Amino acid sequence: MLEELNSETVFTIPVFNGISISESVVVTWIIMVMLILISILIVKNLNIQNISKRQIILEEVINRINEFLYGILGDAGKQYIPYLVIILFYLVFANTIGILGFKPPTKDLNVTAALSLMSIILVEYAGIRKKGGKKWIKSFTNPIAIITPFNILEIFIRPLSLCMRLFGNILGSFVVMELIKILIPVVIPVPFSLFFDIFDGVIQAYVFVFLTSLFIKEAIE
Amino acid sequence: MGSTLIAIGAGIAVLTGAGAGVGIGIATSKAAEAIARQPEAEGKISRNLLLGCALAEATAIYGFVIAVLIIVFLQ
Repeated sequence: MLEELNSETVFTIPVFNGISISESVVVTWIIMVMLILISILIVKNLNIQNISKRQIILEEVINRINEFLYGILGDAGKQYIPYLVIILFYLVFANTIGILGFKPPTKDLNVTAALSLMSIILVEYAGIRKKGGKKWIKSFTNPIAIITPFNILEIFIRPLSLCMRLFGNILGSFVVMELIKILIPVVIPVPFSLFFDIFDGVIQAYVFVFLTSLFIKEAIE
Repeated sequence: MGSTLIAIGAGIAVLTGAGAGVGIGIATSKAAEAIARQPEAEGKISRNLLLGCALAEATAIYGFVIAVLIIVFLQ
C-alpha cells in the first residue's frame, strides 16, 4: 500500500550520471501524445457550411470554456485564456487516466508542485505586466500598509494550497479506489470509480483552473 | 507501541474532515435555499458553491496529507 505513494523510476537515460525518468513523466508523455492526436484528428474537414455533428460538439465545448474564462478574466486578461484551457485539458486527462489503468501523474507531488509554480509565476507576471514594477510592489500595501506581510506570505501560500489540494484529492481517491479493489474486486468498484476517477478528477481540474484565473483577475485589477 | 501511537496520530489528523463536512453542508443548504428563491441565478450560485466547497474541502485534504506524511515518515 505505502509503496504506491512513491513514483517509481521506469528507466534511466544514460547521460550525465544517468537521468532517471519516473512513471509520472512517462504517463504525461502518453497524455501529450493523446492530446496531440486528438487535436489533429478532431479538426480535420472543418467547414463553414454543412457542418458535421463532430464540429458542432467541438465548437460548443470550446466556446463554453472560452466564454467561462472570458467571463472571469475580461478583456484585460484575454491573452491568458489559451494557457488556462490547455492546463484544463491536461488536468482532465491526467486525473481521469486512472480508468485506463495508468497511475494518474497528478498523484505525484512533483507534478502538482510544478503546475502550481507555473500558475503563481503566471499570476505575478500578469500583475507586473499590467501594473508595471513600481505599482506592483506598491500593490502589496493594499488596502492598508499593516497587512503587507500577509500579502507577501500569500505568494507562497497560494501555490502551496493549489498544489496540496490537487495532490491530496487525487491521492485520496487513488488510495480509496485501491482499498475498494482489495476488498471487493468485482462490480462494486464501478460506481465508485465513476465518482472518484471521473467526477472528482474533472471537478479538481475545474477548481485548479478556476482558482488560477481568479488569482490572475485579482492581479490585473 | 510505536506503531499504535502513529496510527492514533494519523487518526487525529484526519479529524479535520469533520470541519470540512460541516462547512460544505452549510454551504450546500444555503445554496439550495438560494436556488429555491431565485431559480434563474442557478448558474452563478452553483459556480460559487463549487468554489466554496473546494476551499472548504482543502482543510480536510490537508488533514489527509498530514496523516499520510505521519504514516510514511514516522515508520
